[in-house]
Amino acid sequence: MKVEEAPNPLAEGLHDYRVADPAVMVIFGATGDLSGRKLLPALYNLARQRSLPAGFAVVGAAMDDMSDDAFRKRASEKIHQFSRTQPIDNRVLDAFLSSLSYVKVDFSRADDFKALAQRLQELDNTRHIGGNRIFYCATPPQTYQLIAQQLQAASLQTGGGFHRIVVEKPFGTDLRSAMELTQTLHNVFSEDSVYRIDHYLGKETVQNILAFRFANSIFEPVWNTNLIDSVQITVAEEIGIEQRGAYYDRAGALRDIVQNHAMQLVALTAMEPPLAFDANAVRDEKVKVLRAIRPLQGEEIARSTVRGQYTKGWVLGEQVAGYREETNVAPDSQTETFAALRLFIDNWRWAGVPFYVRAGKRMPKRVTEIRVQFKRPPHLTFGREAMQEVDPNAITLRIQPEEGISLKFGAKVPSAGLRIRSVTMDFQYMTAFLVDAPEAYERLLLDCMIGDPTLFTRGDEVEAAWKLIDPFEESWRGGMPPLGTYAAGTWGPPSAAELLQADGREWHRP
Amino acid sequence: MWRREGATIAEIIEALSRIRADFARAEAGDDEHGRPRNCVMTLVAVTSGQGDERRAQRCSRIIGAHHPAQSIVIREIPGTRGHKFDASIVTDVLRPTTSSAVECEIVTLHVPGSAADHIGSLVDPLVVSGVPTYVWWMGTPPFGRQELHDALRIGDALVFDSARFEEPYHAFRGLSKLVTIAHRRLGLGDLHWSRMRPLREVIAQFFMPYDRRSFLSGITEVGIDYTGNGRGNRIAASYTVGWMASALGWELQRATAGGGGIVAAHYRAGSRPVEVHFRSVPKDHLASGELSAVRIAGSTHGTTFRLTVARDPERTRRPNPDSAYRSLLSSGGEDDAGIELTKRQAERHRGVLHDSLDSLHHTASGEAPGESRPRQPVVITHERRRPDTEQVLLTLIEIGDSPPLRHVQQVEPEDEAALLLDLLATGTHDAVFNRSLLAAFELMRKM
Repeated sequence: MKVEEAPNPLAEGLHDYRVADPAVMVIFGATGDLSGRKLLPALYNLARQRSLPAGFAVVGAAMDDMSDDAFRKRASEKIHQFSRTQPIDNRVLDAFLSSLSYVKVDFSRADDFKALAQRLQELDNTRHIGGNRIFYCATPPQTYQLIAQQLQAASLQTGGGFHRIVVEKPFGTDLRSAMELTQTLHNVFSEDSVYRIDHYLGKETVQNILAFRFANSIFEPVWNTNLIDSVQITVAEEIGIEQRGAYYDRAGALRDIVQNHAMQLVALTAMEPPLAFDANAVRDEKVKVLRAIRPLQGEEIARSTVRGQYTKGWVLGEQVAGYREETNVAPDSQTETFAALRLFIDNWRWAGVPFYVRAGKRMPKRVTEIRVQFKRPPHLTFGREAMQEVDPNAITLRIQPEEGISLKFGAKVPSAGLRIRSVTMDFQYMTAFLVDAPEAYERLLLDCMIGDPTLFTRGDEVEAAWKLIDPFEESWRGGMPPLGTYAAGTWGPPSAAELLQADGREWHRP
Repeated sequence: MWRREGATIAEIIEALSRIRADFARAEAGDDEHGRPRNCVMTLVAVTSGQGDERRAQRCSRIIGAHHPAQSIVIREIPGTRGHKFDASIVTDVLRPTTSSAVECEIVTLHVPGSAADHIGSLVDPLVVSGVPTYVWWMGTPPFGRQELHDALRIGDALVFDSARFEEPYHAFRGLSKLVTIAHRRLGLGDLHWSRMRPLREVIAQFFMPYDRRSFLSGITEVGIDYTGNGRGNRIAASYTVGWMASALGWELQRATAGGGGIVAAHYRAGSRPVEVHFRSVPKDHLASGELSAVRIAGSTHGTTFRLTVARDPERTRRPNPDSAYRSLLSSGGEDDAGIELTKRQAERHRGVLHDSLDSLHHTASGEAPGESRPRQPVVITHERRRPDTEQVLLTLIEIGDSPPLRHVQQVEPEDEAALLLDLLATGTHDAVFNRSLLAAFELMRKM
């Protein structure tokens, strides 16, 4: 038996306890927003759960001139401010901070990467890290190429141990740029060492879609065109674009949400059962779904898609500005803040079942859900009168908030006559288990350290999604369909409702 | 809150139904139907005194603060007979910000002595169907007696705390017998075993990197420091060694007593001997039986390794409030001065009383020290932190000639409710626990 295959019997039975090998995580952009709000607090919480192994170290790397102590002080402040668990445990924090150090790195300077290499070598020697390295790019996507090249030039991706690179979405802005990004990363790292992080996939309830579908025998037999009428996926946010005007005005809802989060939800809902819950089996099935989505062209795009932009209105009891009045947004911006699509998946399971997808900013509330609407019974045994208050059966997978699953079905109203009404059977994630769910970044960082890429997006997934989205973008830039408007605090432009009304359906009100 | 003296089970069921219906109606809006009742489990806590009863109620409240559950707290009232009970039902309704309201029910029953022998039939009509029922026996479960078997009839698992066994060695023997005869459906959970989970994790973690897996087959020495004397205080130590031995396929050869309170166990792992040394090391801040350090050493392919995991001495601990000693000394009020006075008074008398108790117990039972646990005198310490068993694990890793790597891990506060929650959440059907327990008892027996 090879050493790598030798089991560790002492780890057996330690429920939910997954241990990474000692490693050093280099955070590029360590003084930035993502690092302070998400990464450092997530690492602290992993330390608190005793999931970080002895020897684990973090090296902050950024342009700022900063000492180790100053970086630790900054990290401490951010952890106090943003940690999921409060109050902060000072002994855990102190131990975690002692594993932090800082190297000033200008991404364009090869010498800085040499200094980084020297620091990593020192850590290898003193902390039994064995050369294991994770490079986390908490930086704008434009820097990924430069960072990868500099890592290669400094030979930081070679030697003993594992070497992984983590990049944040967006993974390109269209198919071409996504392919270029993949090629750039592949010049330095193999695909199985590239971790494209989409924090949505780290959410417990997103993973639970797979458990719901494939750990139960009663749902899969009805999960197809024979009994399902349609599927609605809603990714709604009540917030506007906040301080991201410059980015958002170039991206829009289609690129910001639909291409990644919403398409992942489509894939998880529609995929075939994977052979096992392992990285390649799961991702292979997701890619098959994305490739089976019917591509739309020309007039079909105008008929099957809706784009909208919010104007001033009321959200959660407060008056809010319209999109074009937001900071860093062009006053004549044509960027969509709402997108709705009607998609068809051309395969045996889903033939003829429309998937309605909508995503938007300044909606009435924050909600992400997948609603699987079933067909009506073939015969009204109790007559039309008795059934008038009954909706078709539906299963709703609520991703956020009130994470859970509900099943809607008809039940007899207690009375002398026979009247049927829809009732709901609810499962609430928050209260059904005796454990708290970890934050998505905690899960994903640990997965990356362990070397499990199941919940990360593979290059071909990204490209398949862009291949689908690119024609929409092109058509929308040409004004087809025209940009609609909606008052902030409503469910999108009137054309969104019309998209479903044309099919004799209506959006579910989450 | 519902309370009745001389209630029947039927009356309690009726009261519960009424409470649930009222809750459902109150939570339903004007035009929507009521949400279905949500319940995670039934926890049946079997208590023998008012202190235990309060602890059980407190734990139920803490668990219920996040998870809708039903708790049934049973206290036997010795010397009484009959089929009616003094019963109370308390419900806590919680409204999480991102979820609908949940209800936690605590049913407390004071039962006559005769009925307490038939807990199964008493509780069966009350438990929520379709969710697990856990029987939490708060003292020493009556292993081998019909009373326990009757209670387990309605339970999916038996939960206990071997650190609280009054006759640790004998109770542990009864427990190991239960493991061998228990049917597959019955889970077993020991809070004491759960309490040691961080230690097991640290040890497992050391061997996790691929290049250290070969160390597992190179272990030649294990040293364990524990507090207290005698085999009754070696449950935690035996659990730890039993866990390692059963996981790594070590065969117990013999045990020998050495000088200075050291007991050695000799294992064989294939052709390689493994020496295990148990050393009693007094630690003021630890209760009898607790571990203060574990050392694992060996060598593979010419590389030596040593892992040392030590408990941080900086720890405060709430003493056992049930101790007989507490009845001798009042706490002098809950203010700082009163507690300080009581502490000094207690310290003065503590040694004398403990020696007397130990001597009396030895005379009465003829058993060696530690065989049974006499009620321990307790110092009323001033608790400046939460009443938990918060601890810090200090790990030292030495591999080859490299300088030692020091790693500090804080262990989450582990009060009883947290331990119970952790145990119930991770499951009570634990094959590793069962095999470790059997290996631990085999070791204790040879020692």
